[in-house]
Amino acid sequence: MMHEGKTDSERRQLAILQAAFARLDPVALAAAAGGLLSLVLAGATAVLLMRGAPPGIQIGSHLQLLSYFLPGYSVTWGGAFVGLIYGFLIGAALGFLMAMLWNITHHAYAMAVALRASFDRNLD
Amino acid sequence: MIRNGDSERLLLKAAIRVNTMLIAAAFGLTAGAMLCISTYILLLHGGTYIGSHLSLLSIFLPGYSVSTTGAWIGFFWGLVIGAISGAILYRTYARTLRDKLPQSIIDPGYDPESALIAPTAMISGHALGLGLGALAALQLFVTTNWLVFRGTAENSAHAALLENFVPGYSVTFGGSVIGAAALFLLAYVCCLLLGVIYNGVAKSRMRRASL
Repeated sequence: MMHEGKTDSERRQLAILQAAFARLDPVALAAAAGGLLSLVLAGATAVLLMRGAPPGIQIGSHLQLLSYFLPGYSVTWGGAFVGLIYGFLIGAALGFLMAMLWNITHHAYAMAVALRASFDRNLD
Repeated sequence: MIRNGDSERLLLKAAIRVNTMLIAAAFGLTAGAMLCISTYILLLHGGTYIGSHLSLLSIFLPGYSVSTTGAWIGFFWGLVIGAISGAILYRTYARTLRDKLPQSIIDPGYDPESALIAPTAMISGHALGLGLGALAALQLFVTTNWLVFRGTAENSAHAALLENFVPGYSVTFGGSVIGAAALFLLAYVCCLLLGVIYNGVAKSRMRRASL
């Protein structure tokens, strides 16, 4: 139904445009980015805890600095759990934001192209 | 005379060019904003040695500092590096997919003449992994060898901490090569995971929406 009256080339060109202007699902990208970042932050914390540190030296003294930005986070097993939550929230926010930015900029670009085409047609 | 195959290739190239510009803008603005906001958060915290670690970024970003002016210089650098990184990432992604790019949507039965919104894109974890892995590896290689070139590699205790997370990495030329390869693999696996989760959630939402 969709491709009635269209040649193969026109169908392929339509497919290219569909893919180029396809939207990203903000909720899906938020879930994916959140899941990934939560694993990365919790994983990094766990790696340091498992490696340990020489006596008298604080484990993960640099990763600990994240507590400036993430209140409650620390390089401890409890902190790894807190990092899991923060990682998910921040990753989800970033993923959602990136998807929305992608969708909005594509929509704005498509509208600008359509407006310009309409303007050119009027001039003709 | 433009043949059908040529016109499709031209259209694909034009579409990739547009998306590259848009991704570069999005990444650049996000990276710039994140560096600027992180700097301001530290300034608000205050203290005697404000941002003693974040200020190390000035080794790679000339003019950056943990100050009000530095925050905006950081925004500029974030914008530039984010934009270049985004452009490289998308170009690599699109080139990996090439002719499969038109099939990278979740609802192939999409009818543009009757639909109200654009189709939903799939994410190829493999293509993204190759792009992001290569980008991350390149950045690690360049920044490490910048420290080696400056002659500060032996004093770069902070960069050396990466060896906790990147197997085989050290602040040497050889370490940068091994670290780059390891980071490539880590990034590739993360992107595969991202693609699986994203595509799974997006397809499930689409199925529920169509019921």
